[in-house]
Amino acid sequence: MSAVISFPRLETAASARRQAWTERLRLALRTPSLLVGAAVVLFWILCAIFAAKIAPYDPLQPDILHKLLPPSAAHRFGTDGLGRDVLSRVIFGSRGILVAAPLATLLGTVGGTAIGLVAGYFRGLVEEVLMRITDAFLALPTIVTALLVLAAVGGSTTTVILVIGLGFAPIIARTVRAAVLSEAQLEYVEAAKLRQERAPYVMFVEILPNVMGPVLVEFTVRLGYAVFAIATLSFLGFGIPPPAPDWGLTIAEQYTYLIANLWWPVLFPALAIASVVIAVNLFADGLSQVLER
Amino acid sequence: MDREAQRRLDEVRKGRTELENNAIDELIAGRVSRREFIRFATVLGFSMPALGVVLEACSTSSTPTTSGNIKKGGRLNVGHQTPAGAMDPILTNDLGRLTILGQCGEYLAWSDSNLHLRPVLATSWTPNSDGTEWTFKIRQNVKYNDGSGPMTVDDVVATFKRLADPTVTGNNALSNFKGVLSPTGVSKVDNQTVKFTLDAANGNFPYLVSSDNYNAIILPASYNGGWDQTFIGTGPFKLKAGGYVVNDHVSLDRNPTYWDPNNQPYLDGLDFKFYDSEPSAILAFQAGSLDVYTQFSVANGQGLLTDPNTTVIDIPTSAHRQVHLRVDQPPFNDKLVRQAMALAIDRPTIITGLWNGKAQLANDHPLFKMYPSSDTSIAQRAQDITKAKSLMAQAGKASGVDVTLYTEKVQEIPALAALLVSAGGQIGIRITLNLTDSGTYYDRYWLNSPMGITDYGHRGVPNTFLSAPLLSTGTWNAAHFANPTYDGYYADYVKAVDLSAQKAVSGKIEQLLLDETPMLIPYNYDFLTAVKKKVSGLETSGMGHMNFRLAGITS
Repeated sequence: MSAVISFPRLETAASARRQAWTERLRLALRTPSLLVGAAVVLFWILCAIFAAKIAPYDPLQPDILHKLLPPSAAHRFGTDGLGRDVLSRVIFGSRGILVAAPLATLLGTVGGTAIGLVAGYFRGLVEEVLMRITDAFLALPTIVTALLVLAAVGGSTTTVILVIGLGFAPIIARTVRAAVLSEAQLEYVEAAKLRQERAPYVMFVEILPNVMGPVLVEFTVRLGYAVFAIATLSFLGFGIPPPAPDWGLTIAEQYTYLIANLWWPVLFPALAIASVVIAVNLFADGLSQVLER
Repeated sequence: MDREAQRRLDEVRKGRTELENNAIDELIAGRVSRREFIRFATVLGFSMPALGVVLEACSTSSTPTTSGNIKKGGRLNVGHQTPAGAMDPILTNDLGRLTILGQCGEYLAWSDSNLHLRPVLATSWTPNSDGTEWTFKIRQNVKYNDGSGPMTVDDVVATFKRLADPTVTGNNALSNFKGVLSPTGVSKVDNQTVKFTLDAANGNFPYLVSSDNYNAIILPASYNGGWDQTFIGTGPFKLKAGGYVVNDHVSLDRNPTYWDPNNQPYLDGLDFKFYDSEPSAILAFQAGSLDVYTQFSVANGQGLLTDPNTTVIDIPTSAHRQVHLRVDQPPFNDKLVRQAMALAIDRPTIITGLWNGKAQLANDHPLFKMYPSSDTSIAQRAQDITKAKSLMAQAGKASGVDVTLYTEKVQEIPALAALLVSAGGQIGIRITLNLTDSGTYYDRYWLNSPMGITDYGHRGVPNTFLSAPLLSTGTWNAAHFANPTYDGYYADYVKAVDLSAQKAVSGKIEQLLLDETPMLIPYNYDFLTAVKKKVSGLETSGMGHMNFRLAGITS
């Protein structure tokens, strides 16, 4: 008897969920900030994938006798202090940041979501311990912590991803925990417990899909921070080593030319970083609007 | 040569040793240039009048001097590198400190930008016939900048005994004196004379007691540390009361008791402001906060080189970047691979592109063309990619090798590293860069890396460059080069007192180092100082000294 009653209920729930996502997609297509952000991010993704075909020159090949040439038909963005084509370096430079930033954010999101789910679901001593540890990590600025770790163990792309990812985890854990606390009071969670479902099942199969909205928004917000943090670490010399065309590293290598009004080796990578950060933030803003409706 | 000139030359010859007369003969015969003669004669202790007589007799003109229209008084703001440690003469090993030492302290002789020695606290010096003993006459009636004095021969003896003492912790002067001078070798002859009895013959010894050995300012015999409290010395400036704030600034006032009545400083004082970052200092200079900024790089100083309100003092030096190739580890344990790497480098292009021409070609050994003792007949190594690839194939490395290049993020060094990556890439030497701060590089990687770029400052003679990084027992031997033949050549070079003997050994050393290639030296770079147009009379040296004694503000 109960099975006869539950099947239509499940169907109705699934259908309602599909409808909600269709509605969200429609809303998304009518949200300019989300569309603009997505378009810019997509542009950089395409640049990263097709860099070898798009870039007019080898980004690593110095041509020291033609250094610091201003933008021209031959070099649209000019050349840098070693005579390398700035446009080619900006195009190739998208690869590093568009791999490292999403990976770091993903790591932080997965870790933070797991911590938040466990703390919000179990409450009591488990929550107290996890949240106090999280608070302790939140008290440390991410960049300062990252600098300390990188100075101790040495800089590499993998280390940067790990450090940024672990730095984001406590922030995401707090958001997820708050969402889980309200979800855990709802009937479907009580029903799962009454069915004697195991805790991981309840957390990851029942609750997680219902807190994905905040998790997605937090992911996109953190992605913008990750781009900025990685560029900052590269600028400070803790990222990908030279002669890689990394944007932050390029700014660090070339900024002294600004004194002599040679602006192009710095301006274009700086604009590239700014465009990605702004685009990701616009996307996060738009996504938040869509999910809140 | 007319009869009067010949007569005066004969007069000069009478008072000279066999070694000095040999140098005069070399000049007359045209075997050494005027420049080489002047430089060598100053090492041997020719006085300036005697030198003038010889040059005049040989129909050459003396160096013209210039004087600006400088007014008395005023202070100058000087931008300078932050000292790397405690302000102590014996511990000093960096530009930040040595420039300050040179304002308050003085040396027995001054090594000028042409590598000529000028008497300062010594009035003259002479070697014995084999260069194992050098006798210095010490200037009298010289007072210290705190009013005490006069400086005595005992002060000079005590100063050099301390500098030659291997038991003094952190004694930087040992880089010059190790194996050359022991404390027992310094003795007082009389109240005006000091004798240095060397551990081994050394034809270039006067440079080691000159401003080239920046640790060697003369201090009172009673000195027992704490220089940063007193800034004591015989120099033209003294510490202003409360004028030293560590890592921030030093303010100096004119020394009213300065010993030379004819060359009293024009300036009332100097205010040195320390900078950790070159771009910050350049911005301060451009904004007018500084009147002088010492040693800037072409990479960062493009704006200064073209500024119409700035005079750039440009001095060719023996300062260089040394790329060590560790000979006892793959991939550079095969000399064919080392030679291939050397042949992949386009030196003239690097000098033009990286230095705007403000550097000179070097030939992968430290016997630079600027040294009179170098053998300039040895061919300059040039880029030859075909031959480099062939050497790689001969070494069985046609498929290429991988190596990590370690270095410091200082001035143009990262750019040079990037160019080496590109050069190596052309012949299959795949270089990965590891750039760190200077402290990490020198603590962790310098002497323990397969390949590295190290910054070497200027020296008036090549002895230190030939010993510390290349001798089997060398303390800076990053290449781990151990070659008994080379060690023998070095011993021969050091004990050679006359120029032709030095040149003969130099040729052998240059050929051996080109063949073995334990290091790459692509260039010597110029020492660049930016000075506002209103400042005149500043004399700089390749070592990084700044002589403000005759500097001032033009009216």
